[in-house]
Amino acid sequence: MNARRILAISRRIASQFRRDHRTVALLFVVPLVVTALLGWVIRDQERDDVRLGIVASQLVAERVGGALDAAPGIDYLFQADSAEAARSLIRDGQVDIVLVFPADFLPGAGGTLPATLTVITPGVDPASEGTNLATLQRAVISVLDPNLPTLNRETVWGSPASDALDAFAPALIGFFGFFFVFLLTGISFLRERVGGTLERLLATPVTRSEIVAGYSLGFGIFAALQVAVITTFALMNVGVPAFGPLPAFSIGLGIANAGSPLLAFLVVLLLAVGMVNLGIFVSTFARTELQVIQFVPVVIVPQGLLGGVLWPVDSLPSLLQPIARLLPLTYAVDGLREVMIKGADLGSAALRLDLSVLVGLAIAFAALAALTIRREVA
Amino acid sequence: MASPAIQAVGLTKSFGPLVAVDGIDLALEPGRIYGVLGPNGSGKTTLIRLLTGLARATSGHARVLGTEMPSRAALGRIGYMTQSDGVYAELSVLENLRFFAALYGTTDSAALARAVEIVDLVGREGTPAYQLSGGLRRRLSLACALVHSPAVIFLDEPTVGVDPALRMQFWQHFHGLAEAGATLFVSSHVMDEADRCDELLFMRAGRVLARGTSGELRAQAGTPDLEAAFLRFSHEAVA
Repeated sequence: MNARRILAISRRIASQFRRDHRTVALLFVVPLVVTALLGWVIRDQERDDVRLGIVASQLVAERVGGALDAAPGIDYLFQADSAEAARSLIRDGQVDIVLVFPADFLPGAGGTLPATLTVITPGVDPASEGTNLATLQRAVISVLDPNLPTLNRETVWGSPASDALDAFAPALIGFFGFFFVFLLTGISFLRERVGGTLERLLATPVTRSEIVAGYSLGFGIFAALQVAVITTFALMNVGVPAFGPLPAFSIGLGIANAGSPLLAFLVVLLLAVGMVNLGIFVSTFARTELQVIQFVPVVIVPQGLLGGVLWPVDSLPSLLQPIARLLPLTYAVDGLREVMIKGADLGSAALRLDLSVLVGLAIAFAALAALTIRREVA
Repeated sequence: MASPAIQAVGLTKSFGPLVAVDGIDLALEPGRIYGVLGPNGSGKTTLIRLLTGLARATSGHARVLGTEMPSRAALGRIGYMTQSDGVYAELSVLENLRFFAALYGTTDSAALARAVEIVDLVGREGTPAYQLSGGLRRRLSLACALVHSPAVIFLDEPTVGVDPALRMQFWQHFHGLAEAGATLFVSSHVMDEADRCDELLFMRAGRVLARGTSGELRAQAGTPDLEAAFLRFSHEAVA
């Protein structure tokens, strides 16, 4: 391999980027906007108190409802005489949840608590109705039996205050490090193939491993810059005070990072190099840019679903787990979580496994890519 | 005769049942311009790809500058102007040249300046290729094939889409290069370019029908112009 030729190829890729402002924006601005938007949506959700209706006698509803109303997150609004009347309250959007007591229930020392209580919810949005149910359950327990201990949560990694974004951010960083690089390499290499420049490249003394190395370096540098920008944004938290009509806000997600940012960076870089070469490989099977885009649902979406971004690999159906363990994103997401949440360093066997698999896959994809660059020169 | 710059011995390339190049024997001496003429699909591009080592022969041998092709070492002394422009649209004229020069191992900036001068792109060094007109892009493509001062130059339909004035310029450059000792192998399907070559090869269905100077071929066929000569040779080949 000739370093000068490899550098010439990667420098050429950099020059092409320099003139293509839209692609640069796609690489650097789009992930920031998406990450910021996601952070905003997850962190600043408007959560109103659960609006409660109770089906019971006037007396019971007043006593129980008053007590529940005092519990956090509950807003007792209506009493109804029958479950049917309560359902129409939900239908009209006046309450979120209805607690149904048996007709013969007596509160206080005289009455025994029934073994089950019925709860009615709209049945439209399982996630938020589940949250409402949990809030009600907590309130019911605290009101009916104030002597039960409250649970005080501690964690091994992270902190009890961690939210969904803290767990999601590492996966998101991995996903961006993977998606755009794959798409851009696939399309640029397709253009080499159909535009006649590959033919011309191959008529020079360059070897195919030099082409693959030049591409890996050229796109790898941009992927690295991109990951550096997203990681910085995810980790930083700069408060901007209120100014004039603008409310105070903060720049960055302020994600807690327990480990070394450099290690996190290394994980994504290895993933990106693998994806550069997968992009080159895939470009063999496309004749147009549109056909490269058609590989997104084939290559990207399954990894997004199975790679541990949304659900842990261990909780996948047993048939899908072995497939998930073949995907590069699985190891990158796991590695990133090991580093960022658990603070793993190179002493961690789990992280070492993730890194070795990513290196192995990058080499395998590079070999595949080199095989698809045909020249019949020894 | 000096040792041939380009040599083919029983060179054959088949794609399944289709024989694109059919047992061609050639020995072309250096310092001359060879024109390969034939209709579309006659095997000209495949022949060039075999000679440059971009395709592997089904049987037979190709040698360039005495080296058996495919050979990576020989590619450093070969220039190849592809039928499509084969330049990077986002790169400037100079960046394109610098890139191909680097792949050939040329870092001499005088060589870049010379290539720009040969194709008359002086003053446009910083223009991105996508802003060049078709004819200017063709010139850039030629410059990229010449930037490393190759000894053997393959030009696949170099003047397609090039206006007459520029075509004339191109041929002047080609003669200049041949005088300086380079061997040029130019494919074309336009007969009126043939007179500018030192020697012609008529190609049809993967075979060389006839070889000689324009005058020789016309005399041999007994026709006043090359087009008629080509038809006569094709007719004889079929019959």
